[in-house]
Amino acid sequence: MTTTHKTRALIVVTCLSLMFTALGGRLVQLHVLRHDELSSQAAANRGQVVQRQGRRGEIRDCNGNLLANSQSVRIVCADPSITTSNAGVVAAKLSPLLKMDVAVLQAKLTGPGQYVRLKQKVDEETAQQIRSLKLKGILFEDQYLRTYPHGTLASHYIGFVDSDHKGVQGIESAMNQYLEGVSGYEVIERDRKGREIRALRTEGIEPRDGYHVVLTLDQVIQHVAETELEKAMSEFHPQAGVIIVSRPKTGEILAMSCRPTFDLNNAGAALADARRNRCISDVAEPGSTFKIVVCSGAMNERIVTLQDRFDCHNGAFLYAGRILHDAHPYGILPVEGILYKSSNIGAAVVGLKMGAPRLYEYIRRYGFGRKTGIGLPGEVSGIAHPLASWSSLSITRIPMGHEIAATPIQMIMAMNAISNGGKLMKPIVVKRVVDDAGRVILENVPQQVGQPISPATTAMMTTALRRVTTAEGTAPKAAVEGYDTAGKTGTAQKIEGGQYVRKYYSSFIGYLPASDPELSILVSLDDPSGGAYYGGSVSGPVFRRVAEKVVEYLGMPPQKPVTNSKQMASVR
Amino acid sequence: MLACVCIAVVGVAYVWQKNQIYRLGDELKKREATASAAEKRNTMLAAQLAQLKSPALLEARCQQYGLGLVAPREQQMVRLPEPGPEWDAKLLAPSSGFVPSTVPAKKPATRTVAR
Repeated sequence: MTTTHKTRALIVVTCLSLMFTALGGRLVQLHVLRHDELSSQAAANRGQVVQRQGRRGEIRDCNGNLLANSQSVRIVCADPSITTSNAGVVAAKLSPLLKMDVAVLQAKLTGPGQYVRLKQKVDEETAQQIRSLKLKGILFEDQYLRTYPHGTLASHYIGFVDSDHKGVQGIESAMNQYLEGVSGYEVIERDRKGREIRALRTEGIEPRDGYHVVLTLDQVIQHVAETELEKAMSEFHPQAGVIIVSRPKTGEILAMSCRPTFDLNNAGAALADARRNRCISDVAEPGSTFKIVVCSGAMNERIVTLQDRFDCHNGAFLYAGRILHDAHPYGILPVEGILYKSSNIGAAVVGLKMGAPRLYEYIRRYGFGRKTGIGLPGEVSGIAHPLASWSSLSITRIPMGHEIAATPIQMIMAMNAISNGGKLMKPIVVKRVVDDAGRVILENVPQQVGQPISPATTAMMTTALRRVTTAEGTAPKAAVEGYDTAGKTGTAQKIEGGQYVRKYYSSFIGYLPASDPELSILVSLDDPSGGAYYGGSVSGPVFRRVAEKVVEYLGMPPQKPVTNSKQMASVR
Repeated sequence: MLACVCIAVVGVAYVWQKNQIYRLGDELKKREATASAAEKRNTMLAAQLAQLKSPALLEARCQQYGLGLVAPREQQMVRLPEPGPEWDAKLLAPSSGFVPSTVPAKKPATRTVAR
């Protein structure tokens, strides 16, 4: 080997040695000196903590029919740093699938940053179609969508959720703590293409789905109530209307319908007025339906009996300088007659005999002036002025349902107490809460919250209230053929600007079978038009139609043979 | 030599095992995705079923197709009384000839005759 060759070999070896030394140094620098920094960077690139959201629980009716559930949908997103270069093509392909304007899409695809949401609530099928296009820079995120298969059915009762899937009204809000699931997480590692390497999943906590809420509501009875209320709305054109169907013995609410209403699947588009649950949030002077309180109280105190007779002053009664009128003039009426003829003067006279302190005590015993505890958000207490603020006229006006304001739920609960041996029950809207396996987490049992009157008094009251639906009473049109029906009408004048005006709340609250009630129904229409406004002629027939269908559905046997010619005709 | 073979075998086994872990992980991921898709589909179908079973839709369909389906009226029903204790007494009387399933029936006399 010549000197030249030796020199060349030495240079090559030296270079190689230097290169390997540099490489070794670099390796030492990367793996030893900067180990902590770089390993955490690498872990951050590969690893990811993924939050997993628990599915919100379902809402079902008392027979297990689905009323609300959460469906998995997708959010279609884009990375504009990738999509900007061919935004036109991507927008043209996405436009028909996302049902969005090409220009809008293009603007989003060429925007600043690395993340933009193109469309939310995209169903799985559409997402799959988009995925098959294999567009670069288009991403998908999971999202839950709350769906209500029945749309407007029981919308005020069920309520809805906000964009964060939190309940904001009705059962959705009241039972939010049970319905919403518990989120979990997973620590995962991704490959070069961003796919999860399942084998390297190190830790995680499974999310827990929300519990399911079973309501006392029956979707068929609710449908009957909704249909009949809708018919009443088209017939009488009231500003609003309410129907409640309940079980007097347990306080269970079987149906709760309000008008105006809204579609739960598009709650955001509805006016706040339409979203209000009038059954629990609206107060009004109950009118003559309130006579049940004064008459039952007076009988319970043994101040009067059903047969005691009172002078109804032929329709005009002067007291404390003001004249009180009856809709029709009556002379002498027994207490029973005061109820089934609905004499204001008669009720005032009974109230006077009873005295203000005792009347006030019964108002409180029946639960007026305080919330029923139904468990739905937005319930109000109503107005029952304390005794100290009563005027000299109050003792004659409150017995006929003026100077006091109650919610429809308070009124039906008071009537339930009369029909149910004097037991004032707490209204129940949720039957139970169960988990996925059907295990009961919470069960609501009927709860008695008071005993305003004795069973003997309720028997007397039922005797009088049965006659309301006879030809001599105020609501013969409310009678359900074949069934022992009892109830009370109410026609309360509305107050506008502090003055009574010629607008009315027409209501009827009844129960059947009167001797052993299974059902109670409240119908109330706010300002019916077209001439008729009496509770007996407006709300009474609605009550009858609802009752006829519900007893048919529940298979309740009649107490008398049914010979209704109209029914026979429909059978033929 | 033996040590080299052992090391090689252990190495191959390790790689094979790692490969199996990744393969099973992928399979698990696929199964999870299938289960998740099935669950999503199930939820969607449950909502569809609820919609199809809704009284409002059924009523509308009955009208649309003129099926004439109505709920049975009271006159079309025959109501049977719920059997109470008096019925039990009547049924269990020897003269009724009724043998409830919980009481062992007496063997018919013909069975005891020797052939």
